[in-house]
Parts: sequence; structure tokens; C-alpha cells
Amino acid sequence: MNTFTRLIGTAAVALALGSGAAKAADLSFMSFTYAEEANKAIVQGVLDNFQKAEKLTVEPLGFAWGDMQKNIFLRARSKTLPDVAQLSERWLPTFASLDNLVDLNTVYGKDKLQAAFAPDALAMGNINGKQLALPLLSGSIGMVANKEVLAKAGINDVPKTVDDFKKALISVRDKVPNSVPYSMATKNNGSILIDFMVWNWVHGGRIIDDAGKVVVDSQQSRDALGFMVGLLKDRLAAPEIDRPDSRRLLAQGASAFYLDAPQTRTFLRDFSGKGQAFDANVLPMPTPVLKAGDKSVSVQWGHLLVQFAAAGKAKADDPADKFLTYIISDKVQTDLPLKMSALPVTKSARAAVADDAYLKNWSAATGDARRNEVGIWSNAADLTNIIGEEVQGALLGQKSADDAIKSMQARLTTSMEKAKKSE
Amino acid sequence: MAVIENNVGAYPVSPHANRGGLKAGQNRIGLLLLLPAAVAFAAVILYPFLSALGLSLFEYTVEMMEPRFIGFENFYKIASDPDVWAAFWTTAIYVVLTTTGTLVAGLGWALIMNQQFAGRAVLRSLSLLPWVLPSTVSAFIWGWIFNSRYGVLNALLMELGLIDYPQAWLSTPEGAMLAVVLTKIWLSIPLFMSFFLAGLQNLDKEQIDAARVDGAGNWAVLRDHILPHLRPVLMIVVVLGVIGNLQQFDTIYALTGGGPVRATTVLSVEVYRRAFEQWDIGFASAVGVLWVAALLPPAFLYLRMLVKGN
Repeated sequence: MNTFTRLIGTAAVALALGSGAAKAADLSFMSFTYAEEANKAIVQGVLDNFQKAEKLTVEPLGFAWGDMQKNIFLRARSKTLPDVAQLSERWLPTFASLDNLVDLNTVYGKDKLQAAFAPDALAMGNINGKQLALPLLSGSIGMVANKEVLAKAGINDVPKTVDDFKKALISVRDKVPNSVPYSMATKNNGSILIDFMVWNWVHGGRIIDDAGKVVVDSQQSRDALGFMVGLLKDRLAAPEIDRPDSRRLLAQGASAFYLDAPQTRTFLRDFSGKGQAFDANVLPMPTPVLKAGDKSVSVQWGHLLVQFAAAGKAKADDPADKFLTYIISDKVQTDLPLKMSALPVTKSARAAVADDAYLKNWSAATGDARRNEVGIWSNAADLTNIIGEEVQGALLGQKSADDAIKSMQARLTTSMEKAKKSE
Repeated sequence: MAVIENNVGAYPVSPHANRGGLKAGQNRIGLLLLLPAAVAFAAVILYPFLSALGLSLFEYTVEMMEPRFIGFENFYKIASDPDVWAAFWTTAIYVVLTTTGTLVAGLGWALIMNQQFAGRAVLRSLSLLPWVLPSTVSAFIWGWIFNSRYGVLNALLMELGLIDYPQAWLSTPEGAMLAVVLTKIWLSIPLFMSFFLAGLQNLDKEQIDAARVDGAGNWAVLRDHILPHLRPVLMIVVVLGVIGNLQQFDTIYALTGGGPVRATTVLSVEVYRRAFEQWDIGFASAVGVLWVAALLPPAFLYLRMLVKGN
């Protein structure tokens, strides 16, 4: 009898704990920013304030940026998707076909969203007329310099053309010992893609045209890749560099230039160990152009929020939608993006932060950003791998720039046969 | 002559008696004891494998909500995909280098550890350290050693004046392969050493002493006495090594991610990339099935040895 009573008691406690665990949160939020040490507290602050405001609890699920797509994919297959997830803007086309992705036009109304959001930001979450994501923060990927390193190398003016840029890199190499003058991405296909795309644009090339035709087999693209290979050969760039390495090198005064989003300031504060005191060294600058008078280029960048619900149906008073409404409110939008050194996405919040000097400088330096010409395709992951492998092959001397471009053209063309575009 | 009465049924028998005999009872207990392991095996290995086997016959990409049956099309695609064949070749190189390297290093270390010297017990314990460390931690340690900017290897070679500039070891196909092979050898030495050490401790010392009296040198003792004695252990160790190295994923992925380009993309990394970078579960499953097929011959050999009592 005693044993039986104990068993019943244990079962009751387990049931109570189990039901407690099941009711632990009103919604789940999968986020890569939450997994970043530099930004975790900022996101936690938003979640805590949301709980106070709406009396709803959020279960945060933090995954590293590099693991996010894989986790969403696996959770989609095992039907355990979170209620809300954070995406990089270039991942959205890959997940656009998931049938539990909510078209947020049906929840908030298209007109209301258009009235609230800056058009460039809202467009990042729109695929074929459906608003499959709301922007969280936005900006562009452009060039950043470390003023202190430039001063050590005797560089007074930021380089404007590619030739000036190369001269500046040589100065850094020769005058700043053990430095990587330009922390160009040479590792990780996702990072290599951005650097190649930017230099390809600088040289007047394209990878895939608007109609989906692969056009990378051009003299401009050969010149761009040849330029990148030359940087490595002359020790103006280095192998084994991914974006996080670039951030660390710049923060530690071991690099002068690299490409990143405005968020870089937050990372540099953290990695330098100097906090806001390091801001004085962070210099957003226009990406050098091929010849004076050309327009500088940068890549559109942003973070999005998607909602998952059964059959893609949701209502504005669902906990997840209350969370989305909260996160795009002025209270959050005038605070969270600034703390993360990025542009807010709503019109009212952008007006409210228009005087922020860093963001103003960033926008002035990077100008109108172009849409990622690879990220808009449903097979973006495959395209990214192909481009990354071919560029890396050329950079590491395994094949000539000419062979790499030819092979890239052939492989991308095959991959594009089944691709769908998001517009 | 006494007649032996054979009518057993006439004797009183307990109603609880096991009519199948003692052996049947033992069999049932044996089966019962096997059940937890069998359930775990079915849930963790058999079911996923059968699922992968089924999925290899389907097209199932990220854009599809449901898989579409396509028969053997994934296997036809593999046949004409140079990347998959390259992964088989890379796997073969990796397995041969790691297994041979570990065999030689493990045997050498076991021979040293079998000698009498002060501090032997401490050194034996320390030898197990790579085995105790999580393999990804080991991969990061080796990544740090080989790192082109702050790696220990470059610092050492520059200090010795052997190189003028830091070398990007992980950025050349040969350097990256060397790094993943060395890491795996380092990780596997304790296991191999333990097998060999156990074998060496059964070796008749008088036999060695007699050989030495007859004028046998170290090499002759190793070739004519130690290696023949260790032959059964060697067989098991080689087969287990091949199986383990064919399955290797974590250290390679953590150290090189399968790169540079595809220089260290072994079959396990190829399956991962197809599934989680190209989102093609059907194709990844088909590569996985072929990977399992590659594992079957050594696994069969191992099981045969076990059954035969070697």
C-alpha cells in the first residue's frame, strides 16, 4: 500500500510539473541575436518589458546565426516550429514555401503595414505579394575602417578608388606589423559571397541578372576575382578569415578595413574590451569605386521576424502577434535597433532617431543599398555554396580566376534551373 | 534385472515447474535482458536508418512540404555527381591515413608504456587524456595549433627559423588533411594503446628473453615475437579503427568544415552539407545509404571475428 501511495504521489507531482512546464510560456521566440553574448541582454530586456506590458511570457530559444536555418528546417520537418523566429533577410526565400508561415498582411492589413513601415524595410519581408516577415532592424553592408590603424599607417583620407584602396592597404601592411590590412572573408561560403558580390559590383559585374540568368562569366567578374586573388597574394588580405575573425581583428587594431553591417559598432565595442570608448575608432566609409565618379555600392541588410502558425492562420490578438506588435512599437523601435547599432524599420522610429550621428554617417557613407542578388532566390543556400567554393578555390590558388568563373557559371546555371524568385 | 520405470508423468510435479526445461527459462531471461538494448537500438539506430533508406527513394527538398517518390533517381544522380565520388575518395584517404597512423603511434606508445620506468603509471594515466576530452574540444585545440595568425605551430617554426612568414596550414588541401588526420590520430591513440597494452601484458617474457639470448635485436623481437603475438588484437584494432574513421564527423567539421573548398569533405560531411546546407534530404539520405554500405564490410568482418571468438 505504501509503495502504491508513493507511486501515485510521484505520478501526481510529475503531472503537475509537466503541466507547469507546458504552460511555462505563452509563446516561443527563436533568435540568433539572443545567442550573441554582446546582444543577449538587449533582447532579454525587450522580452521582460513585453511580459510586463502584456502579461504574456516568452520562451527565448537562442541559436547561433550559423545554426538558425538548420534548426528552423529541422523543426519544420518535425512540426515543432517556434511561434516567432528571427531571420536574416537573405534566408526568407528559402523558407517561403513552408505552409505554416503566416502572411502578415492577413493579420494586420496591407495598408496598415505600408503606413507604418519604411518601404525599403517592409520590402525585405515581402515575397510575391505576401508579407511573410516583418522587418526588425535594417541597414546595409558596407565598408568599415579603424581610424587608429589608418593613423598608424599614415593614411589621412579614406581611399576612394580601388587603386587608392590598394595603396592604403600596402601602407598598413608595411607600417602596422602583424596586421591583416583588409580582413576580406576567405572562409565560410556565406561570408565569402558578400565580399565577392561587392567587389563584383564595384568592377561592374553581376552574378545573376533580374530574369534569373547567370551572367557571372564576364570580364568584369574575372577582374573582380582577380583583384581579390591579388590582395591575398600581396598579403593585403589573409586566408582563414570569417566575419567574426574580421570583427576581432579590427577591434584589436590588427586590421584596417572590412565589410559589415552597421551592427559592427556593437561587436567592436565588445571585442575591443573598451566599450563605447572604441566608437571613436569606428569609421563607416563608402566602398571604394573602380574609377572616380562611379557610385559606391553596398548590400541591403536586415533582420526579419516571421510567424509560424497552424496552416499559416493567425489573428492579431494571438500572443505571437501581440509580441510582433510590441516589437515594432516606437517604444522598442527607438531603442533596440540603436542599441544594436542598426536602423529602425518603422517610419515614426526612423524620424525619431534621425539625429543619431553614427547611423547618419553610416547611411551617408553606404548610400542606397542594392538587394542581395543571390539571396532573393529560393536556392540561395546552394548558390552561396557554389560561389563560396569557386571563389575560395581561386583565392587559395587551387584554380585560376578564369577557371573559377567558368566553373561558377556552369554550376550556378544548373542550380538555377529549379529556382524561384522572391519579389 | 530391475525394470526402470520410465513413466515420469506418474510422479507428482509442482504446478510452477518450467516444462520447457532450464535452458528455455534461461533463454527467456536472456531475451528479457536484451529487450532494453534492443528497444534502444530500434529507436536510435534501426528506425532512423530505415527512414533514411526510405527517404533515399524520394525527392524531399526545403521547398516541398511532402516528399515525392522518385525511385532510384537520387542514386542515378550520385553516379554522375563528381562531388560525391570525390567525397568517397577523400574518405578513403582519410581512413587509410588515420588508421595506419593510429596503429603505428598506438603500438609504439604501448611498447613504451610496457617498459618499466619511474612515473610510468602517471604517464599511462595522462595518455588517456585525449580520450577523455570531448572531440570538438580537441578539434578546437588543434585548430588553435594550426591557426595561421596565432597558432603554436607557426610560432615554433618561425622561432626555429624554418619559415619566414606564418603559413596558412588549414588553407591548403594537404595541410587541412594533415590537420584532421593528426587530430584523429591523437584522439585515437589511447584506445589503440589500451588494446595493445592488454595484449603485451599477456606476452610471455621468457620467450622474449630467450630470443634476446639467441641474439635477436629489437626489430627482430618486434617482428618475430611481439607482432605475431598481437595479431588477433591488431585485426580487431584495424577493423574497429576503419569503422570509427569511416564514421568520423565532429572533429573534421569543427576543424575545417570540410574545406578548404572540399579538400576534407568526407562522406559524413557530404551528407551533412547536402542535408543542412543544400536542404536536399532525399539526396543526403541516398549518400548516407551508400556510406552505410561502405561501413558494412568492416562491420561484417568485426562481427565475424567476435562470433568466431577471435
